[in-house]
Amino acid sequence: MAFSDLREFIAALDKSGDLVRVKKEVDWDMEVGAISRRVFERAGPALLFEKIKDYPPGYAILNGPVATWRRVAIALGLPPDTAVREIYAAYEERREKKLKPVVVKSAPCQENAMTGPEADIYRLPAPMVHDGDGGRYIGTWDIVITKDPDTGWSNWGMYRFMTHTQNMLTGWPQATSQLAMMMKAKYLPRKQPMPIAIVIGCESLCHMVATDPYKPGESEVEYAGGLRGAPVELVQCKSQDLMVPAHAEIVIEGEVLPDKIAHEGPFGEYPGYRSGTMSEGVLVQITAITHRTNPIITLSTLGVPPDDSSIAASLTAAIAMKRGLKRHGVPVREVYVPPEGVTHLIVVSVERGGSRVARQVLDYFTARRVMVSKIIVVDKDLDPFDMNQVIHAFATKCHPAKGITVEHYEGRANALTPCFSAEERRRLKGASVVFDATWPEDWEEESIPVKSSFETTYREAVRQKVLANWESYGLGGKP
Amino acid sequence: MKKEYVTFVRRLSDLGDGKETLFIKDLTPGPRKYDTKLVRAELSRNSGNLPDGDTLWIRSETGHLHPQPWSIKILEELPPYAPGQPWQDVFSSLRHLKS
Repeated sequence: MAFSDLREFIAALDKSGDLVRVKKEVDWDMEVGAISRRVFERAGPALLFEKIKDYPPGYAILNGPVATWRRVAIALGLPPDTAVREIYAAYEERREKKLKPVVVKSAPCQENAMTGPEADIYRLPAPMVHDGDGGRYIGTWDIVITKDPDTGWSNWGMYRFMTHTQNMLTGWPQATSQLAMMMKAKYLPRKQPMPIAIVIGCESLCHMVATDPYKPGESEVEYAGGLRGAPVELVQCKSQDLMVPAHAEIVIEGEVLPDKIAHEGPFGEYPGYRSGTMSEGVLVQITAITHRTNPIITLSTLGVPPDDSSIAASLTAAIAMKRGLKRHGVPVREVYVPPEGVTHLIVVSVERGGSRVARQVLDYFTARRVMVSKIIVVDKDLDPFDMNQVIHAFATKCHPAKGITVEHYEGRANALTPCFSAEERRRLKGASVVFDATWPEDWEEESIPVKSSFETTYREAVRQKVLANWESYGLGGKP
Repeated sequence: MKKEYVTFVRRLSDLGDGKETLFIKDLTPGPRKYDTKLVRAELSRNSGNLPDGDTLWIRSETGHLHPQPWSIKILEELPPYAPGQPWQDVFSSLRHLKS
């Protein structure tokens, strides 16, 4: 069953015990962020702040809609206690389905409108998320919609946006992002502003699709429909030629200016640091703000994992990477993106390993814009979702000299990777490394070390006997 | 009553006493806190040199707060943007604006 909007999803979280409603008045100026961070770091519930200082009763902020696997499972319509591997499988199975959106004439997201000079972003409780951020971030868990003027393709992405003035935002889609490519290729040469809609507060699968690295030209709104099992309803913006989800809580319409810039950032970002990207973003002139009555801002107080980014991207990035690796000819079995690795560390399980395959994997990850810095390639004899097994393989099977390959690049690195220097981040200069934790392909089977584990070193008959007699040994519990 | 502002710099050494063009954020409490202005202003690291100045806090590129605030006297408020293309360095653009 698809949730029609964020409010239905919130009701489901409430019912499953995965939401706390904070009724005490809280300050949008860092108190919301501090509470949210503390709760994230304890893998706690989603928080609905129902009374925000300086703002009318009914205006609310929701932190962490999908920051636990339980909440991701609920968003997908699965039982809350579904195992991570099964969540991956469900997402993978639905990811390629498409359903065309339905266009509606009127929409909840346009119940209230501020247009032209009346548009005032300060009438919404944009939070000051972390102490030391460059400003109030209204866009942390959003869907940013832009359109190719030649093909009509609408791109959905997720990028940060902060308040600048009453009717201006600044934002930082990375310079290698699809939004940046569209602006640079289609609008800047014509010296035209690019229409943009920053959509806040949809049901969670639409936001997750916005984090999914679909290729340019692919229609995220159709994939969102497929993932939901129901088409997304769209409505025409009030002031821009863009279509936005009708059931969103808030839509900020505007134009990315081609010839003006302003201060943006820094911001405590998804790798878990405020890693210094500042004042190299975009400036948006707001042309309208529409919102539901009693709007709810979706917030992800990003930082050290877990949070919505590390959990949702674990899922969406892993499935996209698995597909990409297959296309690249890698004999991939599974890809796991551990949330603790904040999409900088990837585990790739392969049918057969060796240095050639490890090189192929590294080539795939570094061919274009590079968001990943460390990849561990493992054999199929372990569970890539079990980091204990992955670390064991890395520690024992990765040759310290021959098992490590590094690729250097410039102009396409992840500007948020904390270990890159400020200068490297500015030049998008970086490196990625593959750790080959597989046995070399030229080793004869008889010389491959045998793993000393219950499953691999005892004959079937012995194992069956031990398991059958487990209770009689007086050991208790499950064998 | 002195007003308080904050500005962000790549390095503290980028900022000097005297006239500067810079983005500042208004720290007056209320729903418009952190509203941004682009101003031409007189700056001093010593508040005694600008007795009628307001307080300017300074943060680095990573958000570190310098413990000692400076003084700022706003001479002129400019439109809240600098000329330049998206993804260009705003500080370079401000330097050109000054020259």
